[in-house]
Amino acid sequence: MSEADPARAPAPAPAAGAVSAISEAAAARFLLRAQFSALDEDIRAVRDQGYRAWLDSQFASPRGQSGVDWLDSQGHNAVTAEGRYFWPQGGDFMAWNQLLAQPDQMRQRMAFALSQYFVISLNAIDGYWPPYIMAGWWGVLLDGAFGNFRTLLERVTLNAGMGMYLNTKGNLKENPATGRLPDENYAREVMQLFTIGLHRLEPDGTVARGADGRPIETYGQADVTNLARVFTGYDHDMSRVSHRNVAWQNFPVVSREFCLDPMRFDPDKHCNLAVSFLGCDIPAGTPGPDALRIALDHLFAHPNVGPFFGRQMIQRLVTSNPSPAYVRRVAAAFDDNGAGVRGDLKSVWRAVLTDAEALAPTDPADKLSGKLREPVVRFVSWARSVGIHSESGAFEMYDLSRSDTGLGQSPLRSPSVFNFYRPGYTPPHTAIAAAGRQAPEFQIHNETSAAGYINLLQWAIRWGVGDVKPTYAALLPIAHDLPAVVAWLNLHLAAGQLSPETCRTIETALASKGLTADAPDPHKLDLLASACLLVMSTPEYLVQK
Amino acid sequence: MSAIITTPITRRLMLKRAAQLGALGAAAPLAMNLAAMGEAAAAATSGEEDYKALVCIFLLGGNDHANTLVPYDVANYGRYLNIRGAISYRHDDLTPTLLAPRAPQALTDHLQYAFAPQLPRFKVLFDGGKMAVQLNVGPLVTPVTRAQYDGNNRALYPLPPKLFSHNDQTSVWQADGSEGATIGWGGRFGDLALSGNGHALLTCISAAGNAVFVSGENALQYQISPSGAIPVNPIRRPLYASDAIGEALHQLITQPRPHHHFENELSIVARRSIEMEGVVNGALRGVTMNTSFDLVPGANELADQMKIVARLIGARRALGSRRQIFFVSLGGFDTHSALALKHAELLTKVDEAVAAFYMATVELGVADKVTAFTASDFGRTLVNNGDGSDHGWGSHHFVIGGAVRGGRFYGTAPHISIDSDDQVGQGRLLPSTATDQYAATLAHWFGVPDSALRTILPNIGNFNGANLGFLT
Repeated sequence: MSEADPARAPAPAPAAGAVSAISEAAAARFLLRAQFSALDEDIRAVRDQGYRAWLDSQFASPRGQSGVDWLDSQGHNAVTAEGRYFWPQGGDFMAWNQLLAQPDQMRQRMAFALSQYFVISLNAIDGYWPPYIMAGWWGVLLDGAFGNFRTLLERVTLNAGMGMYLNTKGNLKENPATGRLPDENYAREVMQLFTIGLHRLEPDGTVARGADGRPIETYGQADVTNLARVFTGYDHDMSRVSHRNVAWQNFPVVSREFCLDPMRFDPDKHCNLAVSFLGCDIPAGTPGPDALRIALDHLFAHPNVGPFFGRQMIQRLVTSNPSPAYVRRVAAAFDDNGAGVRGDLKSVWRAVLTDAEALAPTDPADKLSGKLREPVVRFVSWARSVGIHSESGAFEMYDLSRSDTGLGQSPLRSPSVFNFYRPGYTPPHTAIAAAGRQAPEFQIHNETSAAGYINLLQWAIRWGVGDVKPTYAALLPIAHDLPAVVAWLNLHLAAGQLSPETCRTIETALASKGLTADAPDPHKLDLLASACLLVMSTPEYLVQK
Repeated sequence: MSAIITTPITRRLMLKRAAQLGALGAAAPLAMNLAAMGEAAAAATSGEEDYKALVCIFLLGGNDHANTLVPYDVANYGRYLNIRGAISYRHDDLTPTLLAPRAPQALTDHLQYAFAPQLPRFKVLFDGGKMAVQLNVGPLVTPVTRAQYDGNNRALYPLPPKLFSHNDQTSVWQADGSEGATIGWGGRFGDLALSGNGHALLTCISAAGNAVFVSGENALQYQISPSGAIPVNPIRRPLYASDAIGEALHQLITQPRPHHHFENELSIVARRSIEMEGVVNGALRGVTMNTSFDLVPGANELADQMKIVARLIGARRALGSRRQIFFVSLGGFDTHSALALKHAELLTKVDEAVAAFYMATVELGVADKVTAFTASDFGRTLVNNGDGSDHGWGSHHFVIGGAVRGGRFYGTAPHISIDSDDQVGQGRLLPSTATDQYAATLAHWFGVPDSALRTILPNIGNFNGANLGFLT
């Protein structure tokens, strides 16, 4: 398929930012990275406005309903004798509702990418109101998605859910009498995963090497032990919480505000020892909030953050194997948004999504282009494309993490802080490994999940999941027109990346149904689901290029 | 085909055993069975069948070794209590699981150990000689002392990469390299066994998702789910689709795609999935196994995994399997907080799963041909960080099976201390036995030639002794 549309005015080389001739397929390709779906009006908007202006319009677009408000509207805040306040599944319903149904789609997509960098998981959240813990967390990511990395880092650090997940909540100063020391979990992971990583990086994301040719480690155990002192003295903020005595349990039910408020600092529980980490010295007795600010400033200023974070965001949104030059450009956009501001995430998304390497037509000779589309993204993309409806509004979609019966991935359900897959994962015994390249999403792809995904799909695309049912509103009127159906799915789900041969194979198989224009809707739905099953199972769709 | 133990046990004998075993609570049935198996062993030997399997039980997150194998004697318990404080077990609670080694063993500082109270079945296995304890084992490149660790001479005393980091130490344990390693030692063992198996693909099997441990130079890791292999349903039962659509689906997902490596890999996985499903599920249907794994149905994911491993072992003859490596895992061991609660729940799962698995191998007549062993990211600090513990290094591990020289401890017990030279601060154990030695001992039993060991475990020559002796 041609990238340029001859019907439109010819344009100079497609310099990012210039309003240029953008084909339908190119617009869809861009949209399927920048958000989940590429509906006709979105494609039109991108073609009319150009990539950069479209991004600006998304940055300025109104927010959807927050996860917290949605939970409230569905009655998840009810204090009932069955103890719903301890149930986790509302967190799944909330996450699915946000991804599937809220209008601020680009923000949702970026938050989902961020949720795989700053990781907390509903699997490990217990106690009162787990859904609200997750909604509070999701709110942090949504708020931060178009903000500044430094602000986001602090809100992540002090979030009630992160406090539970990596143990800043309740982290106490040392006790020389018992030998107890501050918990090191957050101090380690904030360096290893959230800011600088294990190795010194060049500005293009490649690993820097010392005189001996070996990678240079960024920190050691002493840095962790020191930094851990900074994260002491925090606990859930119970100041807005009300306690309600109830007949069915002998301790009060607390209200949900603690899930949403940043953790509260208690100087009596804070370690006042001097802190020395990564060349930063925080004197003994520095007040806790100041120590936190200094420590996070120091991490944020580290030259690794741009390439470390930037490369992973490219992997989430565009390709598993960006060139060093692409990483360098994204890291530069992190370092300076053009107005002297470091950590502007809007600048990062612009750089990731409009880089020349991202927008250049796929090279048919490149056997390693693109990335494996994530199972959650496949599902959300399908749902937003064909249309879904929840009669009850409850979005009762549970954890779909199981690989034998589910999707093998579920939002906010990572098995650990190391996400569903590692950015450096290479599937062994593959041409990808032989080429020395990476394919993170293959870490959750195997004989079980390959079959489990298709089986879930077979059911879900016809009858939905829980109360969430597909409508196929745009497709029902053309269901009998097989070339039109396949072309529609190819454009909207796959940005035109299905080959003509594959399209023919699908059309031929669909033709066996002999569907006519006057067939009843259930028959048309059978055909449309069959078409989606074929499209969404084929490797030409699964690899997003 | 399976060799179910049918030796009759008289009621009087059962009652006598029940009286002896009453103190063991939940583990009493296991102890009774173990005793019965001993008497029946002669009748139930599995002959000269050439089969061996290793099962790696990975405790993801870094198992808290100090609350798994707990000091019991008064002096050392006192040290433990003093250092661990609120996350310590009560001494009384440890009495039922105090270990009784088969022969007296003098350990460091006259240590006596008990298992955590949640491990009564572990005690039965240990006391019955079916489990060995490997003390303070962890990744090492070369033996190091505390002074060498503190010093700067990394040329002479190199350390494993990225100590104390989860993902890297997980990889170091499984593959002798930090994250990104693509070949594990289980997979390397499997490489040597490929040609002897009816289905090479069924040499290295994970029931726990992709794991580098079971990936070799040539051996692929095959995934199995707790319910067996998963068929691609629309190919066989197209539902609302049609046979033509099922056929098109089959073609689209399996056809070679030489123009793109990612796409081609998807096709390869789909072909493997579809081709092996019929073979594996067909063989599994012929397996009779009565051992109960479902103490609380569906509540123990490790037991679910170990059950399918046992069933695959039960299908070994139908599948022509002679040497197999399995990987199972249980997550949640990163107990920085609420250790007392969370760790206890996890150990209960491990106790139930491991004991059921051992009993299943007895039922299948392969107890002496199957060796299971634990592994984990790392041990943890002895010091309490409030209500949990932090990332450590060395740890204690457990080897289970009929070929185990069990009922005894191997290696050197660490001092219960936060300032001795066998720890590197906060009670993080400096390993006195290397993971490579642990692996080499398993390799030797599995039949890996010594000549191949140096390639598979390149540092093994740095250590004094490549066979720790815990297997016959």
